[in-house]
Amino acid sequence: MSERDAFSSDAHRYLDGGPHGDLGGEERRDADRLLDGIRAYTDGIGAPGPELTDAVMAAVRQGAPVPRRGGWQWLFRPQPIRVRPVWVPLAAAAAVALWLVARPVAPDVTAPVVTRTATDTVFVRFQLVAPEADVVSVAGSFSDWRTDAHWMTKEDGGVWSITLPLPVGEHQYQFVIDGERWVPDPRSHAQIDDGFGGTNSVLVVGPKGVVQS
Amino acid sequence: MELSDGAVVRRVLDGEGELFRVLVERYREKFGRYATSLVGDRDAAADAMQDAFIRAYDSLDRCKNPDRFGSWFFRILTNQCHDTRDRQRAHANLGEVDAVSHHETDTEVERHELAAIIAEALGELTPEQREAFVLKHVDGRSYEEIAELTGTGIDALKMRVHRARDSLRATLGARL
Amino acid sequence: MTIRRSWLLVLLLIPPALAGQQPDLQEQMRTRGLPDELVAQVTTVAADATAQGLPADPLVQKAIEGWAKRVPPDRILAAVRQFRLRLHDAREALMGTGHPDPLGPVVTAAAEAMGRGLERHQLGSVVDAAPSPVAAGRGLRVAAALTAQGIRADEAVAIVVRAMRQGQPDAQLLDLPSVANAMRARGMPPGQIGQRLMRGAGGAAGAGMSPGQGGRPPGVPPGGPPDIPPGQKKKGS
Repeated sequence: MSERDAFSSDAHRYLDGGPHGDLGGEERRDADRLLDGIRAYTDGIGAPGPELTDAVMAAVRQGAPVPRRGGWQWLFRPQPIRVRPVWVPLAAAAAVALWLVARPVAPDVTAPVVTRTATDTVFVRFQLVAPEADVVSVAGSFSDWRTDAHWMTKEDGGVWSITLPLPVGEHQYQFVIDGERWVPDPRSHAQIDDGFGGTNSVLVVGPKGVVQS
Repeated sequence: MELSDGAVVRRVLDGEGELFRVLVERYREKFGRYATSLVGDRDAAADAMQDAFIRAYDSLDRCKNPDRFGSWFFRILTNQCHDTRDRQRAHANLGEVDAVSHHETDTEVERHELAAIIAEALGELTPEQREAFVLKHVDGRSYEEIAELTGTGIDALKMRVHRARDSLRATLGARL
Repeated sequence: MTIRRSWLLVLLLIPPALAGQQPDLQEQMRTRGLPDELVAQVTTVAADATAQGLPADPLVQKAIEGWAKRVPPDRILAAVRQFRLRLHDAREALMGTGHPDPLGPVVTAAAEAMGRGLERHQLGSVVDAAPSPVAAGRGLRVAAALTAQGIRADEAVAIVVRAMRQGQPDAQLLDLPSVANAMRARGMPPGQIGQRLMRGAGGAAGAGMSPGQGGRPPGVPPGGPPDIPPGQKKKGS
């Protein structure tokens, strides 16, 4: 950085909130412009709202027993899992997988996600709103298109969901309602032609899961 | 009567999990803007904060000094924010401000642009400079407070803030 | 899933002329309930493909998919045949852009990409920029996904090529469709998404913000996975 670009100590004192004193014209102007910029920028910065607190507490509740000083629970306690509104990126671990499959997800849908370990398998959560359905499953390239391999769980509000460990890469799939109606996933990355006159939902999964807003 | 951080941590560890909410609320407010500024995006910052709180809860028994939960959590949060930001940066230009309403006045548009330039310029700082700058200028904290929070000496902090300012000056100079 | 993967490996390792894997493909189809006649017909197409150096597994998967979807057998067969043609075209395209012996998964990825509008020279660009065959397959799939998401094919290809040329880790490449999806969920039009990703692909690395650079503050407190044994403290908490 050239000398010209560095503020003098007087300027820094001014920027710290001190008096402008003998600050030269150009420096003063630059300092004021910087302060204006900071103000404009800061005005647009907001903290996450109180819903964050609810989300964290829901996650914490749903997770495991409270961490204890004794520590032995660590070995048996599954990691809490974060569920973003739609997708769940999670690290793969066999113990976690078992826990996930056995345990239905709570309706208010926010649980923590865990560390991502460097593996080729990632947990992904599928969701579908289908209040009228009796049963819903997801079938795709990861399950040999079996319609009975992955049954989804119904939650409040007619939302069906399931979390599956998927290998990294591209997957094609559809939801199957009541064993016979194939419907696409509006939250997938894309819909493509399946070659039979219908469509398949496409999902590209990276090692860190699926990013969702 | 307000519970101290240490008191809350100890009670949570003794089984009152629900009390963790006190810490979450407290630090959501205290560090929320810092997180948003570090990450560059409010929604992503919320994710980062959520992750950080959960990690903190998860490893609460490893917080050596419950009375200094704030600094301990601050570090977890900062790392989470850097992670999230790196990931976001790889894909999108965070210097952009979201689409502005067409009904804005010229002044408002100008302010938006200025804010966007600052945001982008912040991206060019080192992580340490950005942290220090945000704590100083976005949060408005004193150097003493920042030192307490980050565990870094005041002189080093001042140097980071000064360098950050110089860097921003250069960027602003080039852009306006 | 592991079984399928080793299947692909088998296909890659065994010379195309060998039709020994056909019985396994038949077994797969029969297990899934496909009728004998359809199994025989698809096997013929698969054997044909193998003889031409094309991957057979995706054809079988397509048949299984069709059967699961209760598509009439003659339509399934038609789709499988069409897929084989596309695999053939993809292989030709790749060879034409200077890759004389493309691996099965890359051919499949290229075929699907062509189905979504990518042109031969665009396939070539992606494969050229890829550091490995695995990366090539991934690059093609990501480019195809982005195109299917509404981004212009040439832009999608440019984004992917840039990412691979800059040595971005696979993780970031594979994240692209997710990120695009997130932007779309916020109401951003595809044109703008494409621009953002383009700038992102170039800008992030240029600003020196790649992960690992810049030096993380020391003394990271532990917050890790559950397999940290109790009582074992990490440094710096």
